Order: sequence, then structure tokens, then C-alpha cells
Amino acid sequence: MADITDVANAFLRSEIEEFVERPNESARLVDLYAGASPEMQAIAAALVEGEDDDVDRLTTEALAAGVPALEVMDNGLIAGMSLVGIKFRESFIFVPEVLACARAMKAGMAHIEPILSASGIEPLATVIMGTVKGDLHDIGKNLCIMMLRGAGFDVVDLGVDVSPDDFIDAVEEHDAGVLGMSALLTTTMPNMGKTIEAFIDADLRERVRIMVGGAPVTQEFADDMGADGYGKDAVACVELAKALAGAARGA
Amino acid sequence: MSAVETMTSRERVLAALRREPVDRTPLVNPTSVATVELMDLVDAPFPEANREPELMARLAMTGHTELGFDAVMPVFSIIQESSALGCKIQWEQKDNWPTVRMREPVYETVDDIRLPDGWIDHPDTQCVIQAIKILRRELGDEVAIIGKTMGPWSLAYHTFGVEPFLLLSLDDPKATAEVLRRLEQVTIDFGLAQIEAGVDALTLPDHATGDLVSGEYYKRYLQEMHAAFAEQLPVPLILHICGRTVDRMGYIAETGMAAFHFDSKNTPAESMAAVEGRISLVGNVNNPETLFAKGPEAVRAEVLANLEAGVQMIGPECAIPLQTPIESLRAISETVHAYHA
Repeated sequence: MADITDVANAFLRSEIEEFVERPNESARLVDLYAGASPEMQAIAAALVEGEDDDVDRLTTEALAAGVPALEVMDNGLIAGMSLVGIKFRESFIFVPEVLACARAMKAGMAHIEPILSASGIEPLATVIMGTVKGDLHDIGKNLCIMMLRGAGFDVVDLGVDVSPDDFIDAVEEHDAGVLGMSALLTTTMPNMGKTIEAFIDADLRERVRIMVGGAPVTQEFADDMGADGYGKDAVACVELAKALAGAARGA
Repeated sequence: MSAVETMTSRERVLAALRREPVDRTPLVNPTSVATVELMDLVDAPFPEANREPELMARLAMTGHTELGFDAVMPVFSIIQESSALGCKIQWEQKDNWPTVRMREPVYETVDDIRLPDGWIDHPDTQCVIQAIKILRRELGDEVAIIGKTMGPWSLAYHTFGVEPFLLLSLDDPKATAEVLRRLEQVTIDFGLAQIEAGVDALTLPDHATGDLVSGEYYKRYLQEMHAAFAEQLPVPLILHICGRTVDRMGYIAETGMAAFHFDSKNTPAESMAAVEGRISLVGNVNNPETLFAKGPEAVRAEVLANLEAGVQMIGPECAIPLQTPIESLRAISETVHAYHA
């Protein structure tokens, strides 16, 4: 197990010491960063600071220097977003700051994605994502999609205001094992339940694992609706999708 | 019915907004209690009830006549003035809320902000004005009428899109402040028009929620502006912000607004402690789980928690799902009356 002093990047060291309160998370991040090269740590640090121009430049330089795209993504971009997710969950930062970090991640992924696509790496699973009928909010959903793609999922984004029929059609068309629904309004949350009912009516409920999220959604509401899982934020969404994809494969 | 009621509904609401003694805790809905059942009951369905004054007034009236609230609220949605500003609206059907298409923003930079000439005379803003006049004529002085004028932060979400505006707020605080300064005129003008039409109070939704931004953001960008609204709009103002807000309630309490409409993500007790008697609270029965899904027993428990904590006005936390059962809503009124019996 690495020590905090093994992390070369001073900014990342101070961020961990100031914002990561859970010992297991602190240890995991220290291991992650200490195991990464100084160049990857610099990418992670720039991402945490929301500096998209820096992430763009550093990613370009790393790839030009021969660092594998997967390493840049895992040890630079996703490593940075792991810290961002913790800071957001603990309310040290809020959505504007997360959006800036997401913008930085997007700047890096713009260089990574073409390389990964061309390499033919198999996705972990296909995930259908959308905001429910009547709801036009998509910030949270888009953050989840970015993190899911970064984690290796093939994500089909249905956008906002998605009807139950459109969710069903997408699951069938893409043979997806996982479906994610988002809602930001208490007035539209019931449409998550309606969508799950539509899957039951279509005799497709057993074929897909359904996860839900969004600011007003709770674990209790997810359970009452019959969802398979609830994710509080984008980091939790990725962990949940991994678990559900595994369950779907095992089913 | 409560043991002794000596005040009219309107007197009760206005007294609570002034934090003066009341004969019983008023039932207030600062956002919307419209439901599909109520629409059917009085033949005033969405989307028409958001666009035709007679239907808007008729549906609003059910908040008092069918549900027993002491106030009526005709502005069910949050899109009326945004429609007048040129935002694209998805009007939906009876079972869904009209929504601003925020992915198709009308402004990209602060210099784009040009309020359309005569926007206040747009049919969707005038609908509200005419509905208020109808309600005042029919209800006289018996029932409080609450209007709604959107705050500049929410209007910026609608006109710029949520994501672009939140990024602007981080990238360029000066431009953000200017956006708010230019949009505040909409808040003031629509509020004044509703006051002239006869409202007793105004809800002012301005969604600087803890689900999106920090309490410090509220202080930096909005607290002073909200304090100015309390001076410029000469009726009691009810600030509405969804989500977790207890970290900014202290700032909100300093604005001089009459009341804060708070979400069930904040407990009644912690919220009362946060505002320290400097502002009335109204809320905070949970919508999706309690009112919509669980029903009357759970509603009673939440209403009692609010009453025990001393919350000045009782109602749902926000606009309710349109499929909320009527018996859940009636349980709010029944519990308050039983508590005071």
C-alpha cells in the first residue's frame, strides 16, 4: 500500500488530504495516483481543477509520447474524475464545478475515443440511458454517460423526454442488458414507475436490469418502483452498472 | 373543522406571512396542487388550463373548494413568462407538465438579452393576470390568492439552458451577475402586474438549489437581489427553492422576504432552527413518495412533524405529480384541522 508521500503531484496530495475523509477511499486514491506516472498525475490534477485546455494539451502530449490511450484514460482522466466524484458527493463542490471537470474530461476523451474505437476493445456491456417522459433535464444523465463510456460501456443515449415505448424499443434494438433512467423533477419521477410497468407489460422486465437516478430520487423510491438499483451520482452509477451488467450476464 | 376559527382563510394566510398569531395553522400551496382528478372534476384540463384564464381560475379554485387550502395558486407551471420571452415550450397533454425546451436556448451571451417589446401582454402572461382578476372577483376577501413570478436565476436556466448557465456562473461571474441584473426586470414587472390584478402574495421560485449550487453561490449571486425584490414588490414574497437548502436558509432569512417554501430534503426541525424566526416557513410534505405513492397515513405523519416543529404554513414541498390521489391531498387539510380541534 502506497503512502501519501508517494504521490508526486503536490496538488493531488493536498486535495486528498483536504477532501477525502473516508480512509478506504483515501488509500485507494493514494494507490491509484502513486502508481501513475507524473504525466498521468498532471492530467488528473488538471481535470480536478477543471482546466480543459490543460487536459487537452497534456493528453495530446502523452499520446504523442507513446503512452497507451487506455493508460491515459484510466490513470489520468478517470483517476481525476474519481476525486471529483468524491468531492461532489461530500458537497465540497457542486454542479458548476463538476461540469467544468466534465468539460475537461471531454477534451481529453476527444483524443482517446477514436484510438479506443479503432482498437476494437469489447465494451463491458451496452447501457441504454435517457431522461423520462415529460422531463427535459439532462445534466446528471450526461455526466453518468460520460463516466460510463470512460469505464468501458457502450452507451446509447436516448436524450430527454423519453417515452416508455422508446425505452423498450432501444433495449430490444440494441439487445441491452442495462437501462438507466433519470428524472430531476418530483412531478416526473412517477414516469420511471410507468416505464418499468411498460417493460413488465411487454414481458421484457426479466431481460433488462433497470437503474434509476436523479436529484429527487431515493433508494426507497427506486425499491418501491421495482428498479434493480439506484445511483446517487455518476460515480455510483458506474459501480451500479458494472454490478448490474454482471448480474445480467449471469442471468 | 377546527374548534374555533375566528379568521377568514385570507386573514389567516396573511397573518402567518407576517409571523403574527393565527387561529389555526394555514394550509398554503405556494406552487401547485393541480391534479388530473381535479382537472376532470371541473373540466379544466392541462394544457388549456395553463393558457385560458377561465380554466386556469377554475382549476386553481379547487385548491380551496376541494382540498381545503386557505390559498389558491393559479400559476401551476413555471413557464408563463419564459414563453413570453420567446422560449420554446412543450405544452404536453393533460397528464404531463408543460416544460421549457432548455436544449433550445434563446440566449447565448449576456448581450443577447433583449426583452421582447410588450412581453407582459403575451397571451401566456396575460392568462395569469386575467385568471387572478377572475379569482379575486369570485373569492372576494375570503381566500388568499397567491401569484408567481420567476426569479432571474430560474429564468436564466430557461433562456440560456441549465448547463451553459451553470458553466457561465463559474467561468465568468461578472457576466453572470449582468445576466441576472437584466432578467430581474422580468421578475419585477410580472410581479407588479399580478399585484395590480389582485394577488395577496407572490411565490418567487429561483432554483439556486443545493442539488446544483452551493449556499455561497446563493449569497454571492442572489441574496442582495432577493432583498431588493422584497422592497420592490409590495406584497409578501414566498421564495421557493427545491432540494437541499438548509445551508442557505440563514441567508434567505436575511432577505426580508415573508416566507420560504422548503423541500422535504430538509427536516422541519432543522429548517426552523436555521431560520431562527426571521422568516416564515411553508412546506414540506414530500411529493413523490408520500403524497403520490404512500397515501394519507404517511401524509398525516409528515404534516404532524411540521406542526410540531412550528412550521407556520403547511402544504406540499413543491408542485405535485399530476397523478397524486385527491385523498392524499385532503389528508393535509384533515390533519391540520384535527390538530387544532
